[in-house]
Amino acid sequence: MLVVTFMLMPIILMSLFGFMFPQIGSSNPWAGKISSPYKNVPMAIVVEDRGSLAVQVADQFQQTASSTGLFEVQNFASFASARECIVEGKIKGVIVIPEGFTEAFNSHRQATVLITVDDTNPQMASIIYGEAASIFRAISDRLGASVIANMGIPADPSFVSEPVSVERRNLVGSTANTFQFLAPGFMALVVVMGTLAGLSTAIAMEKEQGTMDGIMVAPISRDAIVVGKTIAQTVRGMIQGFLILAISMLFFGVKVYGSPLLMVLVMLLGVASFAGIGIIATSMAPEQETAMMIMMLLMMPMMFLSGIVFPIEQLPDWLQSVGKMLPLYYAADALRKVIVLSATFSQILWDVVVLVSYSAITLAIAIPVFRKAMTR
Amino acid sequence: MKPIIVTHGLTKRFHDFTAVDHINLEVMKGEIFGFLGPNGAGKSTAIRMLTTLSEPSEGTAIVAGYDIRTHPDEIRKRIGLVAEKIILYPRLSAVENLTFFGRLYGLNGRRLRSRIDELLGMVNLTAFKDMPVGSYSSGMRQRVNVIRGLLHDPPILFLDEPTTLLDPQSIRFVRDLIKELNQDGKTIIMTTHIMEEADELSHRIGIIDHGKIIALGTPAQLKAQLGCETLYQVFLKLTGEALRDSASNRVPMRRVMGWG
Repeated sequence: MLVVTFMLMPIILMSLFGFMFPQIGSSNPWAGKISSPYKNVPMAIVVEDRGSLAVQVADQFQQTASSTGLFEVQNFASFASARECIVEGKIKGVIVIPEGFTEAFNSHRQATVLITVDDTNPQMASIIYGEAASIFRAISDRLGASVIANMGIPADPSFVSEPVSVERRNLVGSTANTFQFLAPGFMALVVVMGTLAGLSTAIAMEKEQGTMDGIMVAPISRDAIVVGKTIAQTVRGMIQGFLILAISMLFFGVKVYGSPLLMVLVMLLGVASFAGIGIIATSMAPEQETAMMIMMLLMMPMMFLSGIVFPIEQLPDWLQSVGKMLPLYYAADALRKVIVLSATFSQILWDVVVLVSYSAITLAIAIPVFRKAMTR
Repeated sequence: MKPIIVTHGLTKRFHDFTAVDHINLEVMKGEIFGFLGPNGAGKSTAIRMLTTLSEPSEGTAIVAGYDIRTHPDEIRKRIGLVAEKIILYPRLSAVENLTFFGRLYGLNGRRLRSRIDELLGMVNLTAFKDMPVGSYSSGMRQRVNVIRGLLHDPPILFLDEPTTLLDPQSIRFVRDLIKELNQDGKTIIMTTHIMEEADELSHRIGIIDHGKIIALGTPAQLKAQLGCETLYQVFLKLTGEALRDSASNRVPMRRVMGWG
């Protein structure tokens, strides 16, 4: 029973994270053919211009939207009424083809389409905007090609409309799988959380139960007790980490591009760097609940400051410095580089140095603290 | 009779509260020493220091020839602890628990297995040895708790309230066991609240109150000195009849949890 719960935590966590983050162009067979994870997003379209081109463009948009299943388009009379529906949450965006659209195009001036999306969810907003914009880009190319053909210019229509095109070349693999980037971070996080949570139970519960006395009264060195507890938590942490990896690989299309051996080394170092902190914190806790609370207090900021859930470059400078002082940042960084970019040992050397230093220093402090705390 | 435990001004302070105050006592080899005192008197604290679980603030003690401050590991090899809290993992069976603790004492393999079987037989628990200890009745748990302290056959055994909360049959069993172990030559230091038990079992008694030893002698001597018929009367005469309630905030949380 306990084994099941032990396995369940990482499984649930990873499944939630996995389905939460959209997989753009994922190699995952369940992600579907379309790149956006959002289907049939309700959108409004407002055709302010009376010209035939405006209507034509609007129709083309609606056709593409329904054939790809991306948007469910409704005609609205005005931007203002559409905007109200966005506020009410009934639609997610509005496309406006403004007055003067047809006239501009026919005079061979650039005609503009305006897209407004619901910004209250920025992540969804940027994806919807991108999809709508790319549909219009395709429409724009087709229109441009026919105009250029009629002009009799001896050049490829796509050259004239977009002389320099930009294509994205992937660093890794054939498609850019967002989860590939996120998975190593979550692996590092779950392994660390597992270690910290396990340690708080291990030491505090034994104290409460009274079995810690049984261990302390035996003729074994106090150091052996600390090392033993650390190894036990390391093993647990590693098992949970591998569970995460297995789930990521099976269900979310994550691939390990780098050396598995190096990956294991980084995970071990990550666990070791936290073991010391965990022992110190829980030795000082009078009972198990306090120990658990201390663990929570440590884990929450770490989750957000170490670049796992979102890149720390988004944070103000001073917070970034704090994040970079936490070992989780380096563990996640190294793991990511190894798994996604198949980095070599020398390429993650700095991360390794930091993790080893952390482990050595915290364990060196933990042993005497543990001894003092136990013989009060 | 030679002393096997001698304390020299043994003291333990928690911040500004003195739990054990410069006590000097001796326990003779091969005797059963009853350690009595009202709640909060300092009994558990003194036992913790003698069993090397707690470091003294001042003074020291010699246990089985070794100083508690300088040679704790040597002492640990020679003492067994049967604490008030059951030192067993509820999810593990009796055999698994005993195997784990046995290994901590350097026992293993066939020797450990046969020792465990022997001890389980001694307390009539062979039939239940593979069931989780958490499923045992309190009497059964206490019996395993006692033999846990005997795995390495120590010459000295510390028993903290060994029969509190037990059913009458188990109480009888444990008391007979204590006598048997003593007849085999073991020195036993026992704390208890049950005066008849102390009277029945102890060769000598030490009474502690407010961290100080206030009486030391055989039950007969103490009864004669104070003109009482029972040990119970002796105890109440010395420590008073007022209730000893303590919810003191001088005592740090750790001590409340039973260790420290």
